[in-house]
Formats: sequence, C-alpha cells, structure tokens
Amino acid sequence: MKRIKISGLALKNLRRKFVRTAVLLLLVAVVTGTLLGATIFISGMRNALKIGTYRLGADVLVVPEKNEAQAKAALLSGEPTSFFMDRSVYDSVKNIEGVKRASPQLFIKPASFTCCYNVEAFLVAFDPASDFTVTPWLQKNLKKPLIDNDVITGSSLPVLKGDSLPFFGTLFNVVGTMEPTGMKFFDQSVFMTMDAAYAMAANSKTKSMQPIDIDTSKISAVMVQVQENFTPDRVAIRIEHSVNGVKAIASDEVVSNVRRQLAGLLKGILGISALLWVISLLMMGFAFYMIVNERQRELGLLRAMGAKRAQIFALILNEAVLISVTGGLFGIAVGFSLLLAFKDIMIKSLKLPYLLPSGDILIELVFGAILFSIITGLLASLLPAASASRMEPYEAIRKGE
Amino acid sequence: MIEVRHIIKSYTIDGQTLKAVDGVSFSIKKGEVLSIIGHSGSGKTTLLSLIGGLTRPDSGEVVIDGTNIWAMGDNSLSEFRNRKISFIYQFASLIPTLTALENIMLPTAFGHYGADTEQYARELLGLMGLENKTNSYPSHLSGGQQRRIAIARAFINRPEIVLADEPTGDLDEDTEEEVIRLFTSMNQDQQVTFIIVTHNRDIAAKTQRQLTMSNGVVSELVK
Ligand SMILES: Nc1ncnc2c1ncn2[C@@H]1O[C@H](COP(=O)(O)OP(=O)(O)OP(=O)(O)O)[C@@H](O)[C@H]1O
Ligand SMILES: [Mg+2]
Repeated sequence: MKRIKISGLALKNLRRKFVRTAVLLLLVAVVTGTLLGATIFISGMRNALKIGTYRLGADVLVVPEKNEAQAKAALLSGEPTSFFMDRSVYDSVKNIEGVKRASPQLFIKPASFTCCYNVEAFLVAFDPASDFTVTPWLQKNLKKPLIDNDVITGSSLPVLKGDSLPFFGTLFNVVGTMEPTGMKFFDQSVFMTMDAAYAMAANSKTKSMQPIDIDTSKISAVMVQVQENFTPDRVAIRIEHSVNGVKAIASDEVVSNVRRQLAGLLKGILGISALLWVISLLMMGFAFYMIVNERQRELGLLRAMGAKRAQIFALILNEAVLISVTGGLFGIAVGFSLLLAFKDIMIKSLKLPYLLPSGDILIELVFGAILFSIITGLLASLLPAASASRMEPYEAIRKGE
Repeated sequence: MIEVRHIIKSYTIDGQTLKAVDGVSFSIKKGEVLSIIGHSGSGKTTLLSLIGGLTRPDSGEVVIDGTNIWAMGDNSLSEFRNRKISFIYQFASLIPTLTALENIMLPTAFGHYGADTEQYARELLGLMGLENKTNSYPSHLSGGQQRRIAIARAFINRPEIVLADEPTGDLDEDTEEEVIRLFTSMNQDQQVTFIIVTHNRDIAAKTQRQLTMSNGVVSELVK
C-alpha cells in the first residue's frame, strides 16, 4: 500500500520551494566546507609541528654564534647549510649543569645532488654512540643500527630503499626512507653516521671534484636534552654563558615562531568561521521562520486531521535535517576541493610546515562536519518548529487564510 | 452522542470583545444529521471548531461519548481527531504538493491504518467521480473537483462524526446531489453523525434537525 510519511511530506515541501531550498543547501555547504577545510588545514599544520618538534627531539640546539640564522633556517625550512665549530664545544656542553644528554651532529650542504637537480638534499650526520634524536626513530623503523655507508633518507627525496647515492665521491646505501613530516629539515635530509661523514670528507680529496675539508675535530651542532627540573631556556643561557662563541637555541624558540604564526592564522580562520556560522544560523533560522509562517494553514490542517504536536515538530526538523545533511555532504566535497586548491599556495606564502591528518582523523573530521551541519540545521529550525507545533489548529488555519 | 454544554468563545479585536459563540448548548445522538443555518459571521465555523477539538472554548464543555474532549491532553485529542472526527472546510484545504490520492490518504500519516486504506481511498475517489484524477495535483483541478477530494478525504478514517462547513458551496446541482447521496449513505450504512453548516435551505430542510445561528446563539427549529 502507498504510505504517506512525514519524511516524504518534508521532502515534497523542500522540492516545492526549489530555489529557496537550493540557496539554503548552498549556504550550509559553504559554511560546512569552509569550516572543514580550515579545520583540516589547521590540524595538518599542528600535526606537522608536533612531529617536527618530536623528531627534533632536542631541547636545546647549540650552534656557532655567527651561524644562528643559518641554523634556524635549516631547522625551519630545511635550507641546506654547512657550518662548523670545534668538537671541544661538545665536551664543554656535556658537563654543564642541567644538561642530561648531549650529542654532536654535522650539517653538510652537498655540492650537488647527482640524482636530480630540482631537489635540495641536506646531509645530517649523527653520532650513534651519544645520539638520542635520530636513533629512536631508526630503532622503530630499522631492525639494525646504521653502519658504514648506510643512510636513511627523508620522504621528499626521490630515492627508494636499496638505491645508492653518491656524495663527494662516496657511494651511500639507502637502507630506509622516513614518512613525510612536512618539515623540510627531515623530508629533504640524508641521515648518516658521523664516522661515515668524516670518512666521506677524507675521501673527497682524492675521489671528488669538489673536495670538502672536515676533520674529526669539527662538528656543526650539539643537540641537548635538559634535565627534568630545568627549562630549555635556562640551560640555553647557561651554555651561552660558559662556552664562548656559541648560540644555544631553545627548541621552544625554534618552534615558537611557527606557533605564533599558526596562532594568528588560527584566530583569523576561527573568527571568520564563527562569523560565517552565526550568519548562516540566522539566515537559516529566518528561512525556517518563513517556511513555517507561510505554511501555517497547511500545518493547521494537518493538526486538524490528527497530527500531534511532536509530528508537526518532526516535520519541520525533518526538513531542516534534510537540508543540512545534503548541504553538509556537498560542503565536505567543497571543503576538500578548497583544501586541495589552496593548500600549496598557503603553505608557500606562510612558510609553515604541513602534514595532512591521518585517515582516521580525516574520517572523524568528516563525521564531525556532518554532525555539525545537522546541529546547525536543528538549531536554526528549533524555534520555528516549536512555535509551529504549539499553534492552536483553528488559529493556524484561519491565520494562513 | 455529542453534548455541547454552554460553550462560550470570545475574541478581542482592537480592545472590543466579541462573543463568536455565546453560550451554546445542544445535544445530538449518534447517527443524527443536524444542519446549522446562519448569517455570515454568526459563529458557525467557530462552533464547529469548538466541537471538533480545533479551538478551546473559554468556558463550557463538549462531551463526546461521555468524554469531555477539552479535558483531554493534546496527544489524546489529536488521536481522537484522527480516528473519530473529520472536517470538511468552507475553503480549499488540499495540500498542493500531494496528488488527489495522496491528499485523501494524508490522515493515514498520523495514525494506524489498515492495508486496505489505499483501496478505500480509490473507492471514495470513484464515489466522487474523480477516478481519472487520481494522480493529479490540486493546481490542475477545478475548485469543485478540489472540494470533492476534500470531501472524500473526510471519510478515509471512517469517522464517527463529520463536521461539514458549507460542503456544497461551489458545486453545481448534480454534484451537490452526489455529495448529499454520499452523506446519506454514510449516515444510513455506517451511522455517521453529521453536523452540516449550510446556506442552502433545501439541504437544511432535508436534515433531521435544524439549528439557526445568529450572533453566537443557536436556536432549534422545531418541525
Ligand atoms: N480567530 C479569530 N480572531 C478574531 N475573530 C474571530 C476569530 N474567529 C472568528 N472570529 C470572529 O467571530 C465571528 C464568527 O466567525 P465565524 O467564522 O465563526 O463565522 P461564520 O458563521 O462561520 O461566518 P461565514 O458564514 O462567513 O463563514 C466573526 O465576527 C469573526 O470575525
Ligand atoms: Mg464560516
């Protein structure tokens, strides 16, 4: 038998006012899309930041005083750079109060990256004996430690596990690649042991057209982990105080720039989104007020033939939910398109690291977006639906005449 | 059995109180047909709405089969309207987004109806001579055709009471005849109680009982 259902009535009503329904759909779609796009973008940047700092793993980075800017550029935007200081810095830093662990690293800018000219690679050498920043990650992903000429490469470098990479006349074996971090420092780096780096430098004199001169007394930076009861800031000051000619960059300082930019951006996006949401809520509310008003008589007739208050309420909410779910789904598509379209431009112009949230989180966000649009629809239609259901049937029928 | 006990309904317009229904009492047995005649504005539609549970009286009672309907909760009253009462309105009352058949079946959206309801809806359409308009929308129907569909809709719930407000207002004589015949057969076969508001004295003359209404007050015409 043919069935007349409240949801069917709702759908028919929406179809009747096609243009208005389309406008409402578009409104919900734009709001949901913008909010979703913004949320994914922001959480992507946060993600990248978290992984970046986590990977950096050091509370304080000690570099030659004159190379502070280069060091920051290297960490923040992965700009390959070479700078050196004496290994004695490492020995001094190790013994400063508040330093829990310290480990030297070498930063080397390759003369050329022979596989491909459009990618800049950055050589980072660490000391397996004292290292605490690279090794934890290696242990998680590699069964054995890095030995001899083994290297592990960042995700942006177009090489695969098993490839060979020549640097300064020495061939290195790629034994693993990292997952993308969004931080060029990691994504474009080639990690090797310091022994391998020193050997490479020594061999470069005979094997390479562009020899480099790094003897074993040279290091580029010292990564420092501070003791629990010390703040990175304090230890950094101590280090600068007791070691001549160095700059100690607290990790907070490194990421705080990014954080600050991010916070500003976040406020802007959230502000605009909130405004957009309130406007759309008001517009939808007004639209539903009109919908209810012009249908008073009809709703009164339904009441007269036995519709309960709850059923009238449900009818109006049904229309709102239909609009918001459809608009929300549409908006999710719009959101992803916006994200894809503007992601690169925004990352480039803001110089911020970016990492798309994982699949799980994306699914959560999408569900959140649908839920959010439903809530918006419900909120907007709640009052009109309530007032429609409270009308006395005879009044409603008469007023609509 | 409907007992109307001294009901009053007044409206305040621009500070002036108007008693649309002013202390009306009468009772009507199951299966009776009663007509109400009166000038425009005398309170006929208001009275029907009070009896049918559409608007609450200021005072007085409407007792149907022993229950004071205005003492019921809104949900029970809605169910009561859905199951026992039907209205035929003075004006067009179809839902524009629904076809003729869907309009007739609309009350089924709000209660429990058997599987044979669609068949019955088609029968009623046939009785109104509109089987060829089953899937037409109201905007494609004449005023008289719309009214006949509204009349058919009034019987879909097999009501005990039909409150008809000038049901034959814009019908030609032949169609009016058909409607009267339908009412008569529903009354005789199914004991449906009718209260019919009409300007048509011929129709009124044929009903068992006649009330006249003027300024919110009714008086029965004793035959
Ligand atoms: N909701 C209302 N608000 C204000 N006044 C009302 C309301 N309902 C009815 N009235 C007034 O009550 C009086 C009776 O109205 P009602 O519709 O019952 O008359 P009627 O007898 O059905 O008239 P008609 O034959 O023209 O349909 C009228 O004066 C009308 O203006
Ligand atoms: Mg009237």
